[in-house]
Amino acid sequence: MNMQTAITMTAAETALVDAYTAQIGELPGEGAVLSARDTLLANLRQQGLPTRRVESWHYTDLRALLRAVPAFDPTAFAEKVDPLVPGSSVLSVLNGKADTKNLPAGINVRSYAESLIDGVAAADLIERDQDDVIGRINGSFVRDGFEIEVPEGTELEQPVEFQLVQSAGQSHSRFPVTFGANTKATIIERHLSVSDAASLVTVVSDLILDEGAEITWIILQQQGASDSHLAQVNFDLGTNAKLRLFVINAGGKLVRQEVHGVTTGEGADFKLRGINLLGGDTHTDVTFTLGHDVPNTTSTEVLRNVLFDRAKGVFQGQIRVAPDAQKTDAKMACNTLLLSDDADFSAKPELEIFADDVQCGHGATVIDINPTHLYYLRARGIPENKARAMLVNAFVDEIVEELEDEGLIETLETIIAAWLEKHA
Amino acid sequence: MAAVQETIDQVALIDVDQYKYGFETTIEMDKAPKGLSEDIIRFISAKKNEPDWMLEWRLEAYQRWLTLEEPTWARVNYPKIDFNEIYFYAAPKSTPGPTSIDDVDPELLRVYEKLGIPLREQEILAGVKTPRIAVDAVFDSVSVVTTFKEELKKAGVIFMSISEAIREHPDLVKKYLGTVVPTTDNYYATLNSAVFTDGSFVFVPKGVRCPMELSTYFRINEKGTGQFERTLIIAEDSAYVSYLEGCTAPQRDENQLHAAVVELVALDDAEIKYSTVQNWYPGDKEGKGGIYNFVTKRGDCRGKNSKISWTQVETGSAITWKYPSCILRGDGSRGEFYSIAVSNGHQQIDSGTKMIHLGKNTSSRIVSKGIAAGVSQNTYRGQVSTHRKAENARNFTQCDSLLIGDKCGAHTVPYIEARNSSAQFEHEATTSKISEDQLFYCLQRGIPTEAAIALIVNGFVKEVIQELPMEFAVEAQKLIGISLEGSVG
Repeated sequence: MNMQTAITMTAAETALVDAYTAQIGELPGEGAVLSARDTLLANLRQQGLPTRRVESWHYTDLRALLRAVPAFDPTAFAEKVDPLVPGSSVLSVLNGKADTKNLPAGINVRSYAESLIDGVAAADLIERDQDDVIGRINGSFVRDGFEIEVPEGTELEQPVEFQLVQSAGQSHSRFPVTFGANTKATIIERHLSVSDAASLVTVVSDLILDEGAEITWIILQQQGASDSHLAQVNFDLGTNAKLRLFVINAGGKLVRQEVHGVTTGEGADFKLRGINLLGGDTHTDVTFTLGHDVPNTTSTEVLRNVLFDRAKGVFQGQIRVAPDAQKTDAKMACNTLLLSDDADFSAKPELEIFADDVQCGHGATVIDINPTHLYYLRARGIPENKARAMLVNAFVDEIVEELEDEGLIETLETIIAAWLEKHA
Repeated sequence: MAAVQETIDQVALIDVDQYKYGFETTIEMDKAPKGLSEDIIRFISAKKNEPDWMLEWRLEAYQRWLTLEEPTWARVNYPKIDFNEIYFYAAPKSTPGPTSIDDVDPELLRVYEKLGIPLREQEILAGVKTPRIAVDAVFDSVSVVTTFKEELKKAGVIFMSISEAIREHPDLVKKYLGTVVPTTDNYYATLNSAVFTDGSFVFVPKGVRCPMELSTYFRINEKGTGQFERTLIIAEDSAYVSYLEGCTAPQRDENQLHAAVVELVALDDAEIKYSTVQNWYPGDKEGKGGIYNFVTKRGDCRGKNSKISWTQVETGSAITWKYPSCILRGDGSRGEFYSIAVSNGHQQIDSGTKMIHLGKNTSSRIVSKGIAAGVSQNTYRGQVSTHRKAENARNFTQCDSLLIGDKCGAHTVPYIEARNSSAQFEHEATTSKISEDQLFYCLQRGIPTEAAIALIVNGFVKEVIQELPMEFAVEAQKLIGISLEGSVG
């Protein structure tokens, strides 16, 4: 972070520091955990929230955008909802509190609060780098979440759904998940809001995929129109590990979803597929970095963004290829439909390459609906609004269809169609 | 693949030692004392017999500069520059303004001859087939001679050094200077505004198509000097001008600073084509010496349907920090940026462009080709943005990087900012090495490796080479050949 000397603190910064003083007595964990929290908060206090002068926050001036921080509300009430895919194992976090009843069999699960209390979590509570504001806020305030280990060779038939239901106040959760060698699983990370009250939700997921693990991780973010959502997924891919990460943003007022990964084993493959459905006054930022650290690893990233109303969208994607990471194949695409003159979209797709025998590329487009496509449909008697909806749907549906699970595809398509109907 | 390894080895062998413009000329110089202060600025201004308003302009910029911090966002590393160790003014002694070529120090003329720059009009005229180019030659801090002035004058074109223009056409200079790159723009532009010593001034009046290519040739010669030139080109309604710029410097083991500002103004239906072949001394094998090239170039498409096109071939300099930009203010205006950036040895390039779409129906095109070899770092950094009211903005960007050897780096950092739904932006970037398939295809058809690689590299940069004026295209191709000799035969 650039030198940001102590300037007057904003309301949100003050609220965060005050919240810490108010909550620290009851936050789980002592000793090393407590001192890790203290360090993170001290850094937050000293550096403040990032402005656009901080390169990785260039398009999301958090200091200006995060106006207020709702106080932690211990009385807030939220209930579990039905899982997206019937038959899934559900692990719910309700207003930041993990529900430890009926934990699924076959995998090792415990609440993150336990991990904080016995001090194991202390090692997690660090910043990725100078600019890691999400890690800093989450690490200071984290209360709960789930710590999961999927034992070697486990193949889960049904998805596991992390359900984060929020009604008011703040929630700060963590999900350290280790997938043993040759495991197969689908995980759904779902963020819901059940009231109109403003909430601040932060979540950090740390994924480790051992040799040959094949994992599909789906993030479906549907928070309320006044919520702030700061999320981070970190992953480490071992030899021949495959991770498919789907990120669907369809809610929230201020959203920053960070994805940071490294490939540490040869043959690792990463796929990022993103859909950003942005309407109203949302500011949604997807920031992605991937380090190809060893030879022979591959990655593809495809993002589809649709913007209505006064929405602001950001995509920053950085692919780094380390000096010895020969035979890297990395491709990134970011396609945007800008459907309103009051909306705006900024993209920064970056390549940072230190090896020569590589194939790397990125593409970015910003465009309105193609008038000839529209004409084609209208000429066939389809009314304009319907024709537009069809085209937008087709634009994002390509991503959804890459999931193999028919039931899941249908559910997501229904959610997307409903969102488009509301905003188009 | 053996053939590829061979290329890498040959490129490594050749490195940057092949710099053929590295000679130094002993000419008696008139220098200001080292360092920077208000007195030095007054000294420069007095040396140039400038009017008061110019001195005030400089001093204001200097005061501003003192409050600025050196930018650190570019991907380049260099030790901090000590501005008090630089001579901000150095001029060949014999020039109280030569009135004709015969007054110029013959030693100086020989320098330009050695560089292959024709300064004698008659010589140029003698060669029937040689295309005629008017040249402004800038040696360290001053312009030594400008050719074809009379003939250009007949067409109404003003082509002279900026110092002369400040004296002879103060109204024109006052009207346009600093309107594209204000004195407050950035650290190096502000420094330039305070201390600029010479550069070219071009004014093409309404409806005139400039009858010949205009060219400026910059040479840094004196030890410990910095070159701070300022170029201002104005094309009035429906005018057209094509301007070329070349630069070289002697081989030295110290780093020299070059901080130029170029401002272009295109009014209604005017077109300016600006081409650069930048070949400053890149430093030696260990990365010692070489020019720090911190340049601010910006064109303002101020009028309707105006067009500004930047073409650059960057092969020299230890560090290049340069982003020729277009402000597309006029409705229907068009900006273009074509670039070849070759880095070898320890060179570091951070270059690209900005296309700022403000008017309606504006379009821009960016084609950037980076070639990195040795242990160099080659970065493309570009911005494309639309204003909320800029309807139907259109941009196409292509930036490709080619890596030769596994010790170099190629990076791409584009910023794409769309603020209007009618904008249509396309951006693509690729990074790869010379494909073995392509090489195999050529070899299989009996083309030797050397020639095949030459063919592929030439194909890689062809799109940009085509945009250069013919006589520069030849020079550029030769330069790329020297920079990467061994791989391009």
